Amino acid sequence: MDSASRYLRMETPDKADHLWRYTPWKKVHPTGDLSEIPTLGQPEISLSLIDGSKAPNGIELKRGGSGEPDFSMSSALTNSFLHASAKDSQWTLVVDRGFSPGKPVILDVKASGFPSVAHISLEIGKMAEFELITRVTGNSEWFGLLRTGQIQDGAVVNDVVIGLLERGTMLRSDRIEICRDAQVRAGTVSSGSDRTKSDLRYIMGETGGNIRVLGSILSTESMHLDHHIEIHHEAPETFSRLSWHSACGGSSRTIGTGMLTIRKGSKGADAAQIFHNLLLSESAEADSIPELEVMENDVVGCGHGTANGPIDEEQMFYLKTRGFDEEGAKNSLIAAFLNSTLSEMGGGELHEWLVSELTLQLEALNS
Amino acid sequence: MGDNSEARGAVGEYKAGWHDPEDSTIRFDFGLSEEVVREISKLKNEPQWMTDIRVKAFNHFSKRKMPTWGNMSMLEEIDFDNICYYLRSSESTEKDWDDVPEDIRNTFERLGIPEAEQKWLSGVTAQYESEAVYHSIREDLESQGVIFLDMDSGLREYPDLVKKWFCSVVPYSDNKFSALNTAVWSGGSFIYVPEGVHVEMPVQAYFRINAKNMGQFERTLIIADKGSSIHYVEGCTAPTYSTDSLHSAVVELIALPGSHIRYSTIQNWSSNVYNLVTKRGIAHENAKIEWVDGNIGSKLTMKYPAVILKGEGSHAEVISVAYSGEGQHQDAGAKIHHLASNTTSKILSKSISKNGGRGSYRGMVTVSPKADNCKLNVVCDALILDEGSRSDTYPTMEVANATARCEHEASVSKVSDEQLFYLMSRGHSEEESLAMIVNGFFEPFTRELPMEYAVELNQLMALEMEGSIG
Repeated sequence: MDSASRYLRMETPDKADHLWRYTPWKKVHPTGDLSEIPTLGQPEISLSLIDGSKAPNGIELKRGGSGEPDFSMSSALTNSFLHASAKDSQWTLVVDRGFSPGKPVILDVKASGFPSVAHISLEIGKMAEFELITRVTGNSEWFGLLRTGQIQDGAVVNDVVIGLLERGTMLRSDRIEICRDAQVRAGTVSSGSDRTKSDLRYIMGETGGNIRVLGSILSTESMHLDHHIEIHHEAPETFSRLSWHSACGGSSRTIGTGMLTIRKGSKGADAAQIFHNLLLSESAEADSIPELEVMENDVVGCGHGTANGPIDEEQMFYLKTRGFDEEGAKNSLIAAFLNSTLSEMGGGELHEWLVSELTLQLEALNS
Repeated sequence: MGDNSEARGAVGEYKAGWHDPEDSTIRFDFGLSEEVVREISKLKNEPQWMTDIRVKAFNHFSKRKMPTWGNMSMLEEIDFDNICYYLRSSESTEKDWDDVPEDIRNTFERLGIPEAEQKWLSGVTAQYESEAVYHSIREDLESQGVIFLDMDSGLREYPDLVKKWFCSVVPYSDNKFSALNTAVWSGGSFIYVPEGVHVEMPVQAYFRINAKNMGQFERTLIIADKGSSIHYVEGCTAPTYSTDSLHSAVVELIALPGSHIRYSTIQNWSSNVYNLVTKRGIAHENAKIEWVDGNIGSKLTMKYPAVILKGEGSHAEVISVAYSGEGQHQDAGAKIHHLASNTTSKILSKSISKNGGRGSYRGMVTVSPKADNCKLNVVCDALILDEGSRSDTYPTMEVANATARCEHEASVSKVSDEQLFYLMSRGHSEEESLAMIVNGFFEPFTRELPMEYAVELNQLMALEMEGSIG
């Protein structure tokens, strides 16, 4: 069955499904007519190194997809919809075996003017070692990003998606398979768009897979940023950590829902997830649902945690005694809070670049 | 294999699994209709308002879909047309054990109820099928104005009080099973503790399903007036049949300013009982509600004791343990809603899965925008003892106030090899060591129970652990 048929056969999800509890599908769909798979435009996509120079040999962005992805998992609504709507808007990022450019690679996605969608298939070769930033910018009213693919055996990849749409709705869906002994840091930096709905799924189906999923979310004004992250341990000796930091100001709302599954047979699995929410204003709201399903008893450990709270008064006091004014102290603490996940997303150069992006957003928060 | 004869002697292999011959005075046919609902109300000679609310609830139940979450495959197995919704085995509720019909008296004597009453309870109600068959309360409490009745008597004797509070905390439209309970409720407890009265010793209700394909739908309403306190304990058992029974209770607690209600449950239904219960309390200013909830038996339990912290300074605690064995799914949890400022809450959940059992924690904590300076803490720990068993955690936290401090943590693990090794090096068998570790794991729960319950729970768990090794 193709994705369009699969989507059209699906029932509208209700609030009992935690994936859709806070952001109904109707509010995310580009037209609101759920029976429609509208024709959407294409964004501009380009590939370069972080310093703006041409991407080196060993990495290539090709037009066209790589066949019908495997969406055989529960609640594959976003995957199916995006795949169906992006049938003329597909790219494949091919990374050769052992590729190691030494500098982060930027995949720039510009979604301007009209509603658009992109499906990017990742084909990361064995033993490749690099950092990839996917930066989404533009002023499109609606943008959909589907990323599928595999990170093959032994690859070491820092994969960061930064959402900086000026307005509108962003629907993002990832379905990434992590192969034997591959190590992935999957970072999400989100502070753009009026409404974001993410459905991120990472599957470790082979022994030794290792993933750290990291989120630095800054919501302001009336933003509604909803991220759902699933990590599936389906093989022995797999490792995962999820650390999600959301700072919530204005009358905005951030939502973090996580699903961590340990399938039977995943002996030695080691998994943990934590959601931290920093509430910055009276009318902000932060919601978390970190779910856990464990079907294997021989695990190293599985746990999750959530913590919500305001800015610590003692920390504010300390900074003020060191000469910061109220706003400076507050900004420093927000930056430090978001930086604790940001700093884990990649190496020094990537981190520096991310901090500069974040600083711009923090300035916007105060303006 | 270790010797658990002491535990076996005390508990037996599901000691409550026998059944008496069914000797009912009134038994409705299987199935539910508006006529059945009206007939139950007529039989009880209820006021019109109660009949009306029953009928409304039935209509809601008929229209309401089954939950689309939880163990839907197990829920779909419930055959509502193959359940008896009312069965009376005794003509009246007695105040003297000697007046209770002999076979029913024997049942409760085997369960140790009269002995417990003499030793350490302020009052007892015993419900057999749909009706309370025995009821007593200490005279000194009665003279202080404490009302402790079965719910039907409560409605007859205090209709205004019941009308004021009935469905005030759990409306019939809350969920499909609260609608079912409101339509066909029978039995349960009605308690009113006057202002400033402290009921020092617990009161106990004991619920027994004896018949096959039986539905027990007791309704409990507890009102603690200003500055009062009470501890209510309930226990539940049923015979083991090959066909399923349904227990769908509703419990409403109202803790008025400064009062304290503790509600303890040891649920040990047999493995053919669906236990789908709605329990909720509302705490006014500086009041405190505690749910102490043990789920050992049943086929499927779906129970999430809830507290609405309505008054400033109120406090809620939910301490629960669940044991899931073969064919069992304990889907339990807690819900706490912080609606007022300076409210605090704590949830501690412990679960053990064994022999293919599934334990789920499902919880919700919310902080409303107007509730300043709230503090809440949720801790869930789970042990999976063998292959094929499963543990899930589904916590929801919605925080809409920037001054709230909220923490949630959960862990799933196996029994530590180091702990086992240490205990075995001190001369215990592996099985005894495992039982001790499990009892230690449950200790935060058992220490909150009256001594007699704690001892029985420890023995029960020791027995459940028998055969865990090798």
